[in-house]
Amino acid sequence: MSDYKSNGGGDRRHYVSKPKFCQFCADKNLAIDYKNVELMTRFVNETGKIRPRRQTGTCAKHQREVAKAIKNARHIALIPFEGDIWYDQNA
Amino acid sequence: MHTYELVYILQADLDEATLNGLAETVENLIKNANGEIIKVDRWGKRRLAYPIRKLTEGYYVFVSFKLDPAEVANLRRTLGYNEQILRSIVVRAE
Repeated sequence: MSDYKSNGGGDRRHYVSKPKFCQFCADKNLAIDYKNVELMTRFVNETGKIRPRRQTGTCAKHQREVAKAIKNARHIALIPFEGDIWYDQNA
Repeated sequence: MHTYELVYILQADLDEATLNGLAETVENLIKNANGEIIKVDRWGKRRLAYPIRKLTEGYYVFVSFKLDPAEVANLRRTLGYNEQILRSIVVRAE
């Protein structure tokens, strides 16, 4: 199983090894919460985009919830709409 | 009655008395609509992920409460009117 796409336009897509299981299905205690900044940052890339399922291994149901949570987190400025997350712990 | 969560951001440069006053105003909004406050958690001053109204810091307050669904739209609107509240979000707690 590979996410390495061979298409005519050249191989621009990098290979990212994918976890085999949806971590939210595997661990029922792991709640998808927009307030959990650490968790939300794991599902966005360094430009702030939501990472696709093929990279995170999340199932369709949980991916929808993750996407919603990320959007909520962005709204209250916990994570940026674009760009890096600048950590600074003086709160 | 459903359980909801509210997070709102106040200007960080306000003094303690004003912050307490605003927090009380918000709680009264819920109480006056026959709501019930479950928990209030002040996250305190945090750096915003992006500037809002040219401010880089905000004072975060989390409120968990019970409220009639019909009153929620009203609450959202009233929060939006308050100049000192930079952002607010009301979501159903699952």
